[in-house]
Amino acid sequence: MNCLQAEEHFSAHFEDTLDYQTLQGFEGHLAACEACQREYVRFQESVKAVQQLPQIEPSPYFMSTLQQRLATEERDPSSLKAIAATGWKQLLNGLRRPKWALGGIMALILAAAGTYFYQEGPLFNQDLHQVSVSSTSQKQQIVPLPEAFPSAQQSRRLVGDDSQLQRRSILSTPAQPMQQRYMLKQVSYTNASTSGGL
Amino acid sequence: MPELDDELMERYQKGDENAFTLLVRRHQQPLVNFIARFINDKDSAEDLAQETFIRIFKAANRYKSENAHFKTWMYHIASNLCKNELRNRGRRDRYRVDNVVNSGSDSDGDAEQIDLIASAPANPELQPEIALERKELRNAIQKAIAELPEQYRLPLVLRDLQGLSYDEISEVLELRSGTTKSRINRARLMLKEKLKPFI
Repeated sequence: MNCLQAEEHFSAHFEDTLDYQTLQGFEGHLAACEACQREYVRFQESVKAVQQLPQIEPSPYFMSTLQQRLATEERDPSSLKAIAATGWKQLLNGLRRPKWALGGIMALILAAAGTYFYQEGPLFNQDLHQVSVSSTSQKQQIVPLPEAFPSAQQSRRLVGDDSQLQRRSILSTPAQPMQQRYMLKQVSYTNASTSGGL
Repeated sequence: MPELDDELMERYQKGDENAFTLLVRRHQQPLVNFIARFINDKDSAEDLAQETFIRIFKAANRYKSENAHFKTWMYHIASNLCKNELRNRGRRDRYRVDNVVNSGSDSDGDAEQIDLIASAPANPELQPEIALERKELRNAIQKAIAELPEQYRLPLVLRDLQGLSYDEISEVLELRSGTTKSRINRARLMLKEKLKPFI
């Protein structure tokens, strides 16, 4: 038995659980090795010192506090507020894990992007006359039907094909009132400054 | 002869609430001692011990004595709560270290550890110098235990401070008996090195 092997048996020898053969080997090594003898003595003393640490007592209010908490626990699960609070706590605890936190952040980004594109899209912007403004020559634009635009000045701002507008207006079905009021129109701009201030 | 824990649990499962109170009275002190020594914080130890009993209270109907003994089940629950607490504390500490520069928080931590030792009952018969020496040694031991890695500290506390058998510790930690023995021996060797200046 060498010093490292002897060290592995310190606890077993201290607790007197070594089998006869190992005990012979261990004690034979210790008898021949002064360093291991010293280490084993220090080992025994440190274990005894740990075992002699005083017991820590609970406060005198331990039982009464526990009883109060138990009484609350009995009531809480039935109330929706407690269930909701627990749910949120679990969700927030879950988000503390890096994997879940990353997933949560990705979900938020996707949700934000989805909301942004949804708001920019024609369905959300039915009350706006113009989808977007840019310097490109071809734009898709939502234009109210002529009756929804009584002002001639406003009508002039939109440079486009009136016949196409009317054709689309006729094609819209009465079953879709919102679509009837608005239509998509291809509008050409030569220049923003010359097309009525767009 | 006092009733066994498993018998008390059975009585509690049948509706006898006094049986649960008896179990709490029987185990509150060892449990608080175990948690306080393991997480090195007496105040949180009381909270966690109560939380352990609340978990037992809630899960009492699912408890089966043939699967685990009450004591090992209780320590298993408490160990998991302690591990969670230490993990959360680690996160908070990392956050604090990231956000507080040289604020002297380390000295606060030391004060907390010493408070834990000071709260233990002193022996009035000892001479003041010897008492002080012993207190210093206790502080050093508690500090050394707190510095052990969690996987070694837990079996050491269960063995040398709570007096559980190797089989019970294996049951609490869900480890094989050989692993438990080797971890306890390793923990004791580490502790011996840490206590070199004192012993």
